[in-house]
Amino acid sequence: MTASSESRTGGTKIGIRGVSKVFQVRDSAEVFTAIEDVTLDVREGEFLTLVGPSGCGKSTLLDLVAGLAAPTSGEILLDGTRITGPGLDRGIVFQQYALFPWRTALANIEFGLEAKGVAKKERAEKARHYLDLVGLTGFDQRYPHELSGGMRQRVAIARSLAFDPDVLLMDEPFAALDAQTRESLQEELLSIWEKTGKTIIFITHGIDEAVYLGQRVAVMTSRPGRIKQVIGVEFDTREGDLRADPAFGEYRHQLWTLLRDEVAAARAQEVAGVG
Amino acid sequence: MADTLTSGPVPSRTAARPGTAAGPGVTAGRPAPDTAVTAPARGAAPSRRSRAARRLRAAGGLGKRSLAVGLLLALWEVLPRTGVVDRVFLPPVSEDLVAWYGLLRSGELLDHTQASLVRSLAGFGLAIVAAIPLGLLIGWYKPVAEFVSPVLELFRNTSPVALLPVFTLILGIGETSKVAFVFYACSWPILLNTISGVKTVDPLLIKSARSMGLSSIRLFQKVLLPAAVPTIFTGIRLAGAYSILVLLFAEMVGAKAGLGYLINAAQSSFRIYDMYAGIITISVIGLLFNQLLVHLERRFSTWRTT
Repeated sequence: MTASSESRTGGTKIGIRGVSKVFQVRDSAEVFTAIEDVTLDVREGEFLTLVGPSGCGKSTLLDLVAGLAAPTSGEILLDGTRITGPGLDRGIVFQQYALFPWRTALANIEFGLEAKGVAKKERAEKARHYLDLVGLTGFDQRYPHELSGGMRQRVAIARSLAFDPDVLLMDEPFAALDAQTRESLQEELLSIWEKTGKTIIFITHGIDEAVYLGQRVAVMTSRPGRIKQVIGVEFDTREGDLRADPAFGEYRHQLWTLLRDEVAAARAQEVAGVG
Repeated sequence: MADTLTSGPVPSRTAARPGTAAGPGVTAGRPAPDTAVTAPARGAAPSRRSRAARRLRAAGGLGKRSLAVGLLLALWEVLPRTGVVDRVFLPPVSEDLVAWYGLLRSGELLDHTQASLVRSLAGFGLAIVAAIPLGLLIGWYKPVAEFVSPVLELFRNTSPVALLPVFTLILGIGETSKVAFVFYACSWPILLNTISGVKTVDPLLIKSARSMGLSSIRLFQKVLLPAAVPTIFTGIRLAGAYSILVLLFAEMVGAKAGLGYLINAAQSSFRIYDMYAGIITISVIGLLFNQLLVHLERRFSTWRTT
């Protein structure tokens, strides 16, 4: 953690304190440690990216923060209060969109508002506002299967933003998209983040994506997942082609070096698991 | 069997929806870069020629289908007349239709049709009312599913027809036993499809809804039920076909009215024309009923694409 990134954002929003998650392997006494002793603070309004080799427990960590599962040990605090279950103060965006196929784009965005108990008329207004925000004006009556992958993810993002959570949890949201769509969505996500001031935890396995989006990048080890290092990312300017900036390359290389050993370890585990 | 039940035809309506041409992608204030992927396909309005071609194709398709039916009717007419088949047992279709018209005018046909329809619709309706809630319950609560599944396994592999004597034994040969029999037979496809509809809901959708803090009841109402509707409708459509099929069988075995009775009684008293009139009637009713249900099924599954 660098001092400069500390000054940019507020106090602690999410406090992950010594969290471990152990799963019971089905029909046996064996246990499986997904993540181990993870401690990490995410500050109010911060954009934190989380990278790690596949199967390192990134998604498990996100489930815990979402309240969809409970940690085996340790605790997770949101605004100083222990998280005990899911809630509308946190919104999740999944890689596979998870849109309700029987609902139109607009009705999908309204879903969380219904859960929140917002009046019908206000729901439609709000949903339309967020549809505009993600650049899908006029697509309100389209069903998910009538939209491209990028558009579906825009709807999913709008759905999570619409019920106005403080925290946005994103689980490799752009991994299934083509490179061009991904870059434009990354750019738009940053502008939405700047506009809304949400605290964002963004999981990715792409180093470039992590550097491009994150104010800080947390690197996880291979299974059992632990936080290996947290790197503050700062650029003098974000004008022009940021990815061509020499500083971008340096961050990229630094992360690549950190991840190289972990990816190798993860692969060895996978091979051992299959064999 | 459960698997084959759900694999009914699920026509996608998106392919035939010319109304979506010139989509709003064109008008969006800030053109999203990824919309370009779909914009050309939707943006280009279908030319007049392609629309005419499509209409012609549709007409051609209808013609082709009518052609096969026409050919069948022609054979039915010609074969008895030329003596290839015995016209005593298979009178030409035109003569059967004359007999059909006679039955219609005398009111006899209407009475039998009404008797049959009341029985099958009553049984079918009761099956919908009973089997859907039961299926939802079994699909939703794992303990219930585990408890009843051996019984379900047993019964769904037992032909309802095998149980007709049991119905007759317990409920007699009156209306109650026939309606109950139809009800029983119709319940299975609806029940099994409802269970599988609830069970096969994408877990990610449930996770997504749960992350928004939905209670179990709301989750059921807002996610499981709508997700299961197309599968449930497939079951309903199958049950519709069953309702007529098994009723006819019941009416042939023991009844004083109904189309099954008409067909069977006409045959045994050698009113061959009337027998065919009854057969024609039941096949037309079956066809119309199925068309109606297919139409309804499609309406409720517009969003389903695979």
